[in-house]
Amino acid sequence: MTINTAFMIQTFLDVLAGIPVTLELTFITLLVSFPIAFFMALQKLEKKKFSGKIVSGYVSFIRGTPVVLQILFLYSLLPTILNYFIKEVLNLDVDIFALNPIIYAFVVFSLNTIAVLTEVFRSALLTVEHGQLEAALAIGLNKRQAYARIIIPQAVVFALPNLCNATINLMKSTSLAFMMTVKDITAIAKVNAAYGYNYIEAYLVISVLYIILCTVVQFGYGAVERYFSLYKRISTN
Amino acid sequence: MRPFHPAYIFEVLPQLFPYIGVTIAVTFGTVLGGGLIGLLLAAAKIKRGRIAKILVNTYVYLTRCIPSIVMLFIVYYGLPELLMVFGIDINNVHKAFFVITTFSILFAANMSEVFRSAYEAVDKGQREAAISIGMSEFQAFRRILLPQCTVYAIPNFANALVNLIKEGSLAYTIGLIDIMGKGQLIIGLNMGSYSLETYLSLFLLYWILTIISEKSLKLLEKRLLQGKKILHTAG
Repeated sequence: MTINTAFMIQTFLDVLAGIPVTLELTFITLLVSFPIAFFMALQKLEKKKFSGKIVSGYVSFIRGTPVVLQILFLYSLLPTILNYFIKEVLNLDVDIFALNPIIYAFVVFSLNTIAVLTEVFRSALLTVEHGQLEAALAIGLNKRQAYARIIIPQAVVFALPNLCNATINLMKSTSLAFMMTVKDITAIAKVNAAYGYNYIEAYLVISVLYIILCTVVQFGYGAVERYFSLYKRISTN
Repeated sequence: MRPFHPAYIFEVLPQLFPYIGVTIAVTFGTVLGGGLIGLLLAAAKIKRGRIAKILVNTYVYLTRCIPSIVMLFIVYYGLPELLMVFGIDINNVHKAFFVITTFSILFAANMSEVFRSAYEAVDKGQREAAISIGMSEFQAFRRILLPQCTVYAIPNFANALVNLIKEGSLAYTIGLIDIMGKGQLIIGLNMGSYSLETYLSLFLLYWILTIISEKSLKLLEKRLLQGKKILHTAG
């Protein structure tokens, strides 16, 4: 077994160009999913009969089926639908097939992350005692204020560890974006590897890179968590 | 707009059915292999000293950070070369072997945490009480601790299992023909047409698989908890 170190160094340098794409995929997806997932969690919590059922069904479906399948399905469905919509309905002369495929990646990963975050938010909001909301409403805050000032700041502390998990899982699943021809870390490594059949070296390099990215994300969340749990330490002191 | 034939979703299902066995077999193999390694890792972390704990933690940390598809490729391309050094040729081994190995490595990390947290959830006094009435260490574990651990482990195990079934679908990328692989073959045979319908029937199969495994484990948990409730009301 021989390891081609020159190739590994070259791949490492090439793959660095994919880091912004991977990070972009992760964080823009999170940003898009955040408000929608929060809204959906509320639908489930407030026991709204119809919308709660729909949210439950959606979460169950997304969490019960593989991401690969979601990618393959949407990647073969979305472009044709978009094309039809723009050409036939809007009568615009835009070439859909020239669009950057990263857009489809955003859609797929957002649909997925929304389902995951809905559960994260729901369980976090459940940890805040119901009396807190009642007390806030009793002293004359409206519902939005009660959530923004009383409930959410407490729920955040419980949500952060799960949020960290969700972020890491999302970052890992963006490695599947190569199926949509997005040039992220994995895609670049794959192309490099195929050239001289140096698969082991290429994948070892990117696994190290993923470990580094993962560590950075965890440190980030650790810092945020320490900040938000400040009130707990102050109150116990 | 391409034509869409909902009827084809159900036409394709009978072709996929025979391959559910492969998907389930790979999942079972991984649960066995990964569960066993996970058990050893958890035991090492609980019983052995600081170094074992650091090693297990590192293992869990590293496997948690590596995407499963990258792991799959490393094992698929790397393991034969690695074993070749020791003179073992596994180039003609069935692809399921690589899939089970990969996912066992990943599943073991999950399971070690599941086992450890379940073990620690049981009150320490239980073991002490069992030993004080004359049970051996093994008897105390088998008769007192294990039944209680199992209940605590089930929800997390269910989660890990569902994830495993989902991630298992990546196996088609190295050419294993499970339901996902068969679906891709069917699409290939149809020259890419009916792809949406085929994917939809795959969605259906996976969804049913995960729901069944989730629900049956929940039922099991409920059954096991029944005894606990009776115990509480009696005490």
